[in-house]
Amino acid sequence: MSRWMAALRLVGVGFFIGSSIVLGVAAGLWLDSRLNTGPAIAIVGLFLGIAVAFYGVYRMLIPLMKNKKNGESD
Amino acid sequence: MAKRGALGMSRPLLVGVLSLFVLLFVVGFLVGPLGRSMFGDLGLPAWLSLPQPEFKLPAETAFHLFGFPVANSIIGAWITMAVLICLSYLITRRMKVVPGRLQSAFEALLGWLYDLCRRVAGEENGRRFFPIVTTIFLFVAFNAWLSLIPGFGSIMVTTAEGEHVHLLRGANTDINMPLALALISFVFVEYFGLRSLGLRYVGKFFNVNQFFQSIGHIVRGRLRAGLGGIFTGFIHIFVGLLEALSEMVRIVSFTFRLFGNMTAGEMLLLIAAFLVPWVFALPFYGLELLVGFVQALIFGGLTLVFLTLAVTHHGEESA
Repeated sequence: MSRWMAALRLVGVGFFIGSSIVLGVAAGLWLDSRLNTGPAIAIVGLFLGIAVAFYGVYRMLIPLMKNKKNGESD
Repeated sequence: MAKRGALGMSRPLLVGVLSLFVLLFVVGFLVGPLGRSMFGDLGLPAWLSLPQPEFKLPAETAFHLFGFPVANSIIGAWITMAVLICLSYLITRRMKVVPGRLQSAFEALLGWLYDLCRRVAGEENGRRFFPIVTTIFLFVAFNAWLSLIPGFGSIMVTTAEGEHVHLLRGANTDINMPLALALISFVFVEYFGLRSLGLRYVGKFFNVNQFFQSIGHIVRGRLRAGLGGIFTGFIHIFVGLLEALSEMVRIVSFTFRLFGNMTAGEMLLLIAAFLVPWVFALPFYGLELLVGFVQALIFGGLTLVFLTLAVTHHGEESA
């Protein structure tokens, strides 16, 4: 694991969190307005967005955490 | 011979240039809206200040070509492409062992990117990913830098409808171009993932193995192992769904990062030049040069990282 890879992964995290949550809520709101279901789908979308954000960040950062545990920083 | 001071200029010249800068700054400050709101109108001539900038988010149609509307941002993209093609032709036409200035600059840039690819993706994969990453990098960077050239945003044309619009505009300040780049990057990621992992790559998104295995357990009467397995199987399916969704979100986050940074930069320059005309916008120009480079690096580099993620097997990586 090079330093570059670590840096690039960290750079991607911020926008990923933001856009996954916003996208989830936006899709939920759009579906709500289509189906007249009040805020129900928007809330589901919010939680799905948060789940995707967590999962994506976790996947992006696993190798970094693993690296630290082994103590072999490059 | 005169004594050389900073920036390779002789001292009197340096002092002259600096005081000219300060003078321009003070006059610009007094004449701009910022100074006027503080000190009132000092009666300076109106041609010293700029009109209030208008920024339209959707790109405007400059003219029609064979019935297709041609937006000003796509002309910017064409110019970027033309510049890149001309540059590479000029550089590779007469390659020398001892390179000239232009050739060595490009050799250094490409060598650095090649090194980056190999270090991130490994020797063999790095060589495969290098063309994609470099193309994206060069396009984004040159596009950002070209639109900083003075005069790029000043050429106006009159459309068939009689509107005055800019002829040129940085391609990445129109959301369609970053979206296209993000889609290209997405397609390449999926392509390389499928090619190097085959069905296992699809298995990342539809992870139903465990689920069907446990159903098999139940059918064969091993109820306990089966029920526990079904639960894990559901989790695997859900994780696959999250994986697929995060792939979609990646396109959006790629798009908006590039679009947001480029558009904000353009606006920042316009507003800075409007508030305090003339030299005040200069530091922001430097900032935008840096932002163009950094955004290109991020776009190319993240593509590289996700390409690398796609070709490594899930198990290998978390093992």
